[in-house]
Amino acid sequence: MLKSLDPRVNRLSIPDDFEAPMAAKEQLDQFETYQSFIQTKEGKPFEHAGTVHAPNEEMAFLFAKEQFSRRGTFCHALCVVKTELILVSEFTDNGQDVYDTFKGSYSGDTSASFEVFHSVKRGKHHKHIGTVEAKDFEDALLASKETYPRDKPVFNVWIAKSEDILMSDEEDADIWNTLKEKKYRDAIDYKAADRIKAFKAEQG
Amino acid sequence: MYGGGNVFESMKATALAEEDPIKLAEFEARIDRGEKIEPSDWMPQLYRKQLIRMIEQHGHSEIIGALPEGTWITRAPGFKRKLALMAKVQDEVGHAQLLYSAAETLGKPREQQLEDLISGKSKYSNIFNYPAFTWADSCFISWLVDAGAIVNQIANSKGSYGPYCRALERICAEESFHLKYGHHCVIHLATGTKTQREMMQAAVNRWWAPMMHFFGPSDKISVHSEILMRWKVKMASNDECRQQFLDMYVPKIWELGLTIPDENLMKNETTGQWEFSEPDWEEFKRVINGDGPCNKERIAVRRMAEERGRWVRQALLAPKAKYVTPLA
Repeated sequence: MLKSLDPRVNRLSIPDDFEAPMAAKEQLDQFETYQSFIQTKEGKPFEHAGTVHAPNEEMAFLFAKEQFSRRGTFCHALCVVKTELILVSEFTDNGQDVYDTFKGSYSGDTSASFEVFHSVKRGKHHKHIGTVEAKDFEDALLASKETYPRDKPVFNVWIAKSEDILMSDEEDADIWNTLKEKKYRDAIDYKAADRIKAFKAEQG
Repeated sequence: MYGGGNVFESMKATALAEEDPIKLAEFEARIDRGEKIEPSDWMPQLYRKQLIRMIEQHGHSEIIGALPEGTWITRAPGFKRKLALMAKVQDEVGHAQLLYSAAETLGKPREQQLEDLISGKSKYSNIFNYPAFTWADSCFISWLVDAGAIVNQIANSKGSYGPYCRALERICAEESFHLKYGHHCVIHLATGTKTQREMMQAAVNRWWAPMMHFFGPSDKISVHSEILMRWKVKMASNDECRQQFLDMYVPKIWELGLTIPDENLMKNETTGQWEFSEPDWEEFKRVINGDGPCNKERIAVRRMAEERGRWVRQALLAPKAKYVTPLA
C-alpha cells in the first residue's frame, strides 16, 4: 500500500501497483457544456461568467452557483444555457459593427422569444442587451438590429431562445443570502497589523 | 494558486514559416494594438499549442496544489481556520475548472486534460511534490506559495488571450483572501509561543529551496522566448517574477523575526536586485521528472479519484449528450 503523511490518503488503501496502465476509455465521458450568466445587482444586465460541465441543466445551475457566486456580493441572480443552443454570430474587426453584416429584414413574426447578448470589446464578457421576439435565430439577429440602437460597434452577438435558459427564481432569492454571512471568505476578515506592531514593540 | 516557471515546448525553426504570412501579420498587429485574441480568431499553431500547455499546467497546479493543503483541513487549529482552509481549497479546485475551460476554448477537451495529468503527460507546479509535514507548512503554502502564484498570475492576466485573462481576473480576486488568510496564519504562529515560532521557522527552512525553484530557472534568451513575449503569452521572465516576489515578501518574513535559510540573500542597493545562492537546479530537474518526495502520491490520489469516481460519471452520463467546446 502507498504510505503517506496524509491519513486521508492512507485510508484510500491505494495499492502499490497503481501505476499499471489504466483501462482505456472507449470514448471521452465528457459532460455537456453550459454557459453561465450572472447578475451582480438588481437592475444590472446579466453578464457572461464562464463555462460549467454538467450532465443536465439543474446540475449545471448548481455547479454555476458554486463556481461563480462563492462570494456573496457577486450575485443577485444566475442563469445557465447549454452551449450548443447558443447562436454565435461572426466576429468583426477594426471597429466594424457586426450588425452591418446581416442582410435582410426582420419578419415581424413574434412566435418565439430570444435573449440577445453583445460583446463590444475583445477581452470583455458578453452582456445581456434584451429580449426580442422573432421566428428563428437569424430573424432574432435582425430583430435585435432594429430594436437596439448602438452607440459603439458590436463585434460579436450571442442569441439564445428564452425557453432554453434556466434562470434562478426571484422567489428563491434567499439562496444567495447565506453567502453574505461567510466573512471568513473575505480578505477583510484577516487583519493582523496590531499583532505585528505588538510583536515588534516587544522585540524592541 | 499556481506554479511559475512554465515548461514550454521547444519550437521547430520551420514552425512559423509554415504559417500564412498575411494572417500572421494581422495577428501580430492585433496584439501590438493591445487587443485580446478571442477563441474564434485566427492564431498561429505555436500560439495555440503553447497557450494550451501553459493554461493546462496552471489548471493542474490548482488541483494538485489543493492536496497538501487539503490534508490539513481536519487538523487545522480551531473551527475558523478549518472553515477558511476549506473555502480556500474549494477556491483552488474552482480555479482549475475555470482554467480547464479557458484551455478548452483552444480545442483540448477538459476530459483529455484530466487524462494527461493522470498519465503524467502534463506537468504541474513542482512545489507540490513536497510534503506538508506540519500545520506551519500549510501556512507557508497559503501565504508564500500563493504570493508567488499571484506575482505570476498578475503578470499573465495582462496577456493576449481573452478567455485566460478573464479566468485570471476572477482568480486574482479570490486569491486576495488566500493571501491575507495565509499571512494571518503565519503571523499568529510567528508571534506566538516559542514552540509555535520554532514550528514556523522549521517550515520556512523546509520550503525556501522549493520556493526559489518555484519561478523556474533563469530564462535563456532564445528566439523562442522572444516570440512568446512578443505574442504576450509569457509576460515576465522567471527572474523578474522571482525578484518581484523577494522584493515584496522578504521584508515581511523578516519583520516577523523569522530567518531565511540563505546567508547570501541580500538586496544589492546599487543594482536594486536581490542576490542569493544559486538554487540547486539539478534537484529541480530531478523532482520535476518524477523523483520527488510526493510525485507518486499526488498522481496516485488523482488517479484513484478518477477510477473510483467512474461509476458516478457513468450514472450521470446521458447517452445522447453532445460535448460542445465552450464559447469564451
